[in-house]
Amino acid sequence: MRSTSFARVVSLSIAVAALAGAASAADNDGLTLPAGFTATVVQEGLGGGRHLAVAANGNIYLARRDGLVAMRDKDHDGKVDETLQFGDVKGTEVRLFNNWLYVSDNVGVYRFPLKKGELAPAGPRQTVVAGFPLERQHADKTFALDPKGTLYVNVGAPSNSCQEKDRQEGSLGQNPCPILEKYGGVWVFDGNKLDQTPANGRRFATGMRNAVAIEWNDAQKALYSVIHGRDGIDTLFPALYNAEDNATRQAEEFHKIVDGGNYGWPYTFWDTKLGKRVIGPEYGGDTTKEPEAGKYPAPLVAFPAHWAPNDLLFYSGRNFPAQYQGGAFIAFHGSWNRAPEPQAGYKVVFQPMKDGKPSGEYQVFADGFAGEMADNNPRNAKYRPVGLAVGKDGALYVSDSQKGRIWRITYAKK
Amino acid sequence: MGMRVRVIALCALWSGAALHAETPATSPPASQVPDSVAAGQKLYARHCLSCHQADGGGVPNMQPPIAGGSWVKGDPGALALFVMTGGFDSAQRKDSAVDNVMPPFVQLTDEDLAAILTYIRQKFGGGAPAVDAAQVAAARASIPR
Repeated sequence: MRSTSFARVVSLSIAVAALAGAASAADNDGLTLPAGFTATVVQEGLGGGRHLAVAANGNIYLARRDGLVAMRDKDHDGKVDETLQFGDVKGTEVRLFNNWLYVSDNVGVYRFPLKKGELAPAGPRQTVVAGFPLERQHADKTFALDPKGTLYVNVGAPSNSCQEKDRQEGSLGQNPCPILEKYGGVWVFDGNKLDQTPANGRRFATGMRNAVAIEWNDAQKALYSVIHGRDGIDTLFPALYNAEDNATRQAEEFHKIVDGGNYGWPYTFWDTKLGKRVIGPEYGGDTTKEPEAGKYPAPLVAFPAHWAPNDLLFYSGRNFPAQYQGGAFIAFHGSWNRAPEPQAGYKVVFQPMKDGKPSGEYQVFADGFAGEMADNNPRNAKYRPVGLAVGKDGALYVSDSQKGRIWRITYAKK
Repeated sequence: MGMRVRVIALCALWSGAALHAETPATSPPASQVPDSVAAGQKLYARHCLSCHQADGGGVPNMQPPIAGGSWVKGDPGALALFVMTGGFDSAQRKDSAVDNVMPPFVQLTDEDLAAILTYIRQKFGGGAPAVDAAQVAAARASIPR
């Protein structure tokens, strides 16, 4: 009974919000979406956003490199009207888990208790894990949590391809790559335990250059990631590859991440032109030479080079049509390393899935974020999608790293 | 001259500040100026563009801009030295606004480096004087072995 009346209140507020947003969102804020979908701007922009989380009561939590922000829409007009900065954590990840808000910066994962009626957590901030080495490259400690509270932390490799000299022309790859001892994989911790150090973690999977987009799939009871692939094959090994090769061949690989898995970085990459895994030029690759069969898995999907997958979300909300159930949304932040070829990415893609496996070609779901992007330079992108979240009502939220804009995307049958 | 380049080199390596200082640019005699802007543009595309981009604007948080900086139009010796030694040893590294480190381009010839520097000075340095191979060679000689 209680749940019925709650559901009614929720659906009423959805209807009201939809009406309020309809006029201002006629053009979907310049975004292109499939028929029946509408995008409204819930937050104009607070400065560069990263990932976001949406609570059951609609409160939004946005991670930023300038610190965390909590926001809500008190008058239910579809726009945020109360914004609070809180905590002293400058980073990328933010997730709700039970009555906790988990966040991270480049060296640790922390949590705040979320009390009823409280928008910004008053604290105190607890440290779950701290002490990851401070790096600059691929340093965002994004993470996922399973229902038991197991914490899966992406520890990106501070390197492009583990060359003896990072990104130096002709420099050979280190084999074995010593970076993999502490980076380039996923480490697991007990997310319910406090004051852990990296030494308390266990390497769950390896061979992952930077798994920013990492997500636990409840239905499949498994971890998934879309991994940032390597770049620079042309500038580093010009005798083997040209600029067009660099712009197109090194896949962004979508994998199910299993315990003990090895996804091939830095020794190999998935070549989208050849449709197979090849040995990287630093490791004796000649553009076609393959690693030992079965050593590294093929990706579930090989996404185009350098699109920069920055968030992954499996949809199980109740707003979108049936075909979206169980499928994956991926926020592609967009390339810088395709230059001089045209930059690409800058869109939210939907990958249909059934039983945890791709069940069709990926579809561009939301596009038009970047605008005209003068000079082919990412700096001039109007917006860059970076984070994804689903509200209790099934709406998809997308955050932007250029201005901190947040959109709410909903579906209504025509 | 050699001494001066070495002093600048040390500053560049250990303080990084020299790169940003407004040092009067010395122009080589006209006869030594290579007609290399077109060649420099090609070499820029090949070695520099993917990071610093076609417009020299860099990529926020990733690689710094060349355009608009004071060092691109400043002392050619300091500029050549930085391009040859890269950013790995820079003391400023930890305070840098960008994540990626510039690799050394010491493998390029004096002529190719001169062409690249001439191009970026013309295109992104407000038409700062060209750099010739002898200036690059002098900077190269100053690199501590």
